[in-house]
Amino acid sequence: MAGAIPFDELAPRPIVEAHTVGHILSTNRKFVVGSVIFVGLLLSALAIGRALGPEALRTGIVPAKQGVGTAGLLLLGSTTLGQSILAQLTQAIPNSMMVGLVAATIGTLVGGLLGLLSGYFGGKVDAVLRVLIDVFLAVPSLLFLILIAAVLRGLGVPAIAAIIGAFAWAWPARAVRAQVLSLKERPFVQVGMLSGLSGIEIVWGELMPLLLPWLGANFINAFISAVLTESGLSILGLGSQRDMTLGQMIFWALNYGALLQNMWWWWFIPVLTLIVLFLALYLVHLGLDEVANPRLRTQA
Amino acid sequence: MATFWRYVLERLIICVATVAISVTVVFFAPRMVPGDPLGAITIKLAQMGGNRGADALIAAYKIRFGLDKSMGEQYVAYLRQLAQGDLGYSISSFPSTVGDLLAQAIPWTIGLMLVTTLISWTLGSILGGLVGWTGARSPALQALVPVALVLYTIPYYILAIVLSFLLAYVFPLLPRTGAFTLGTQPTLTLGFALDVAQHAALPALSIVLVSLGWWFLSMRSLVVSIKGEDFMTWAEAKGLPRPRIFWGYAFRNALLPQATGLALSLGHIIGGQLVTETIFGYPGLGYLIFNSIKSLDFPVIQGSILLIILSVAIINFVMDLVYPLIDPRIRYGAAGRA
Repeated sequence: MAGAIPFDELAPRPIVEAHTVGHILSTNRKFVVGSVIFVGLLLSALAIGRALGPEALRTGIVPAKQGVGTAGLLLLGSTTLGQSILAQLTQAIPNSMMVGLVAATIGTLVGGLLGLLSGYFGGKVDAVLRVLIDVFLAVPSLLFLILIAAVLRGLGVPAIAAIIGAFAWAWPARAVRAQVLSLKERPFVQVGMLSGLSGIEIVWGELMPLLLPWLGANFINAFISAVLTESGLSILGLGSQRDMTLGQMIFWALNYGALLQNMWWWWFIPVLTLIVLFLALYLVHLGLDEVANPRLRTQA
Repeated sequence: MATFWRYVLERLIICVATVAISVTVVFFAPRMVPGDPLGAITIKLAQMGGNRGADALIAAYKIRFGLDKSMGEQYVAYLRQLAQGDLGYSISSFPSTVGDLLAQAIPWTIGLMLVTTLISWTLGSILGGLVGWTGARSPALQALVPVALVLYTIPYYILAIVLSFLLAYVFPLLPRTGAFTLGTQPTLTLGFALDVAQHAALPALSIVLVSLGWWFLSMRSLVVSIKGEDFMTWAEAKGLPRPRIFWGYAFRNALLPQATGLALSLGHIIGGQLVTETIFGYPGLGYLIFNSIKSLDFPVIQGSILLIILSVAIINFVMDLVYPLIDPRIRYGAAGRA
């Protein structure tokens, strides 16, 4: 699946001001519903995790192979090793979200910066950066990640997130570059140049406000694909062995034959959580996209 | 003509740079680990319980693999071997070379990928085209849109897990793992072919369903935007029959961007298939990589990754050269303005 969102919508855009962006977002149903689900997942995981305490993650804290129960640590069942699925979930949700946050931040910041430089300054900088961007777009990054993760075994979640982020900048860079190329021909940028603003002032003062809602949509996109990548690595057995993530939960469930023992709660609960997380993020993305592309609003 | 050669040169530079960077990363990545690159072998030996004479063996290995030389010399030697297509020996299944293992795995991966991509792309394009064409006139077809959206959002491996549970455990109609029944010899008979098809059904279904959503959505929006073109109005004014307008005018014009998307997504398709193969124990490249990760078999991991990256880079290069020939609207210089 070409996971990228089309970015070639280069329609003329009205000047978007910060308070209107906030207003549009708060009235956008997709954005609000998505954000509420996302924040709700995170807060309930943190709250329940705190209530249970770190002891709850211990192996053998509950009887093994228990199905979905009524209360306490057995609410969502247990594994063959007597681990509480509920306790694992309270650790896995924030960790998976952290992977997305760290990787998407690195990818969007680095990509956005390179795209700005490449698009605005052109010339030799652009020529070199363009080749670099195309190279990173052409390589299936999951393969490099597999190699790196296989070499550096025993990484923690933040380190894995950072490595995923190091491969997540190419799409934002190419997209921002295309945006900047089109924006810089607009009259208001020309006026800025003629009135003697420096390159930095134009980039920050004139281009950034227009790129921001758009970078936001891109950020969510990178967030989704980072969570996806981390889960994929985990299922291949390359995840963090120390900390729980949603992908890591699925890996252990598959590894201990949860499918064949009909312990459906073991694999289904992290799978369902991942699906809910993705749908929430996708709604947020659609909402942000409508702010960045006013034309989409009328269609929707 | 000058722009043509500039374009070819630029694409060539990108292709060569991709290959050079990949080859270099694949060489240096295992050597950046703190400690000895032979650590994997030592662990392997310790697991097998053979510690006697390990030091002597490792010293011999060091000379055998050239690890006593400087990094620069090793890199040159590695490039020379690579140029001869020599990927070295597998550690965990020692007498086999990496090349042998790859040769066994590749047909399964390519076969599965060709079949699933062809099915999902064709089916997704036709369905998406029809839904875009009929629009609000057919609520039944319109109901496919949210289904496609959900399929597109769901990660490929999640569908694989759910399917493997439903079809192989709850309703055990299809074999869950492997590419053919264990113990049978691969032969060119109808029975064996059926066996292979049966084993491939589950992984294929999970890949087709997930990628279908994307092709459906992109074809639908392409056809919707083509509906507004002048030549469509003209075709209608001429009184052409509607099927003719759809297939000959709308569908045909949407096919090229759709084909472009297919080529561009090749890397993603391979990446997604690696995990799916692992879940179904399908003996292709993905499963080979998974097993070599488990047994710390670095030469095999490196070899498979190099092979995939090289093929993707070369296919991309060829595609870049072929597009402008198919579609005159894509000019050779246009890539620079992206």
